[in-house]
Amino acid sequence: MSKKTINIPLGSQHISLLEPIRFKFVCENEKILEVDSDVGFVHRGVERACTTKFKYDAIPYVVARICGLCAITHSLSYTMAIESLLGANVSKRANYLRVLMVELDRIHSHMLCLSHVCENTGYEAMFMKIMGDREPVMDLQELISGNRIQFDYVSIGGVNRDIDPEIARKIKQTLKELRPKIQDLITEFQNNWSLSLRFKGIGALSMQKAYEFNAIGPLARAAGIKTDVRSESSELPYNELGFELITKEGGDIYARNMVRLYEILNSISMCENIVDGMPEGAIITKLKGKPSGEVISRLEAPRGELMYYVKGHGKAMLDRVRIKTPTFSSIPAFMDIFIGQEYADAPAILASFDPCMSCTAK
Amino acid sequence: MKKVEVTLKNVCNVIREFYKLKEHQFLTLNGVAIDEKTIEIQWIFSHYAKVDKIVVFYVEVTEDELIPSIVDLIPSAIISQRELVDMFGVKVQDSESGLYLDEDSMKKPLSLGCAL
Repeated sequence: MSKKTINIPLGSQHISLLEPIRFKFVCENEKILEVDSDVGFVHRGVERACTTKFKYDAIPYVVARICGLCAITHSLSYTMAIESLLGANVSKRANYLRVLMVELDRIHSHMLCLSHVCENTGYEAMFMKIMGDREPVMDLQELISGNRIQFDYVSIGGVNRDIDPEIARKIKQTLKELRPKIQDLITEFQNNWSLSLRFKGIGALSMQKAYEFNAIGPLARAAGIKTDVRSESSELPYNELGFELITKEGGDIYARNMVRLYEILNSISMCENIVDGMPEGAIITKLKGKPSGEVISRLEAPRGELMYYVKGHGKAMLDRVRIKTPTFSSIPAFMDIFIGQEYADAPAILASFDPCMSCTAK
Repeated sequence: MKKVEVTLKNVCNVIREFYKLKEHQFLTLNGVAIDEKTIEIQWIFSHYAKVDKIVVFYVEVTEDELIPSIVDLIPSAIISQRELVDMFGVKVQDSESGLYLDEDSMKKPLSLGCAL
């Protein structure tokens, strides 16, 4: 009997991935043999705009618009690069507030991913439960920054808003209520057959392949690679806030879910430590001069490493702003994972990647 | 960050000697327009588990020079190579255009020769 292959597109708009990326699968029966991808549907030219339309001190607010979910990591990564070029000394309080927002962002971003994994498994009730539990975290972000998403919280030299004792109390209360919900989720993801047995061995990336494809973020850590910019960069004070590098084995959907769940617990602990140990001091330092030289700044965004390369020559307009987003650099690994998998698993595998096309189409 | 100058002839060998699969992470390929005809190409690496350890290999090229591919050593580099082709209009071995930009899009938008 001759073997027949069929081409099945997934995207650019698909019920399991409402973002502008298209995968084209070549399948034999249900098995995926080949994958191609197209990511260039809505390229926005942000890098070009950063060197032709906006002065360096306006760019934190421009790059915050790259992605609603990752706004804080974009503006912070860029800002740290500029501060490095200006030789700035940002106050400890400002850095603590920055980490607080980055970790709250990680919590709600990971919860969004986990909810989508449930949705793509047909577990709608769990999808709605996680989305409901996520709301108070969004409320905290609004309380601190003024916006639920796309917050213009970070400025060159510090942050734009401080927290008072009432906000600090609210943060601790919300996180205290969230922790047992996450622990319940861990139990659910470990024991519910739709989420545990169903996902073990599915969409796996071995440790060897993860190294070969330079996997980053939860994708790499679920394959057992000990990599996290929070431990590889000294720009933010993670070493004094209780950061723990979470890794799992197996590299499958189950392992990626577990990495995210335990990272949420660690982020909750770090946020509590920040509020408890918040140093006194100014939240912003006025800086003088114009950026000159070149620098690379890295930050662990929820999906992995976000990197900014910035080059200036002492003028208000920069020479180059290079943005390397986590999803973009993970696409070759994504494509390799699909090969040999069942097409029916593709939506759940895709959700477990937690792709962010807003960042990719920067 | 540490910058190491290379040439188009030796870049692959230099990276092959430097790169250890389980020690180094390839971050990205970067282009920086120097003038309307010259672009600095950068291969950027970090080190697993070492703090603030960034190494950048760089070379200045013109648009008509062929930049060698490192995909046989680092498969994930293909996406950065294709991005570089689209954004700067340079030629990179085994890397076709059209990843980010369509046929009717503005050409090489990040080169200094491109006017909006």
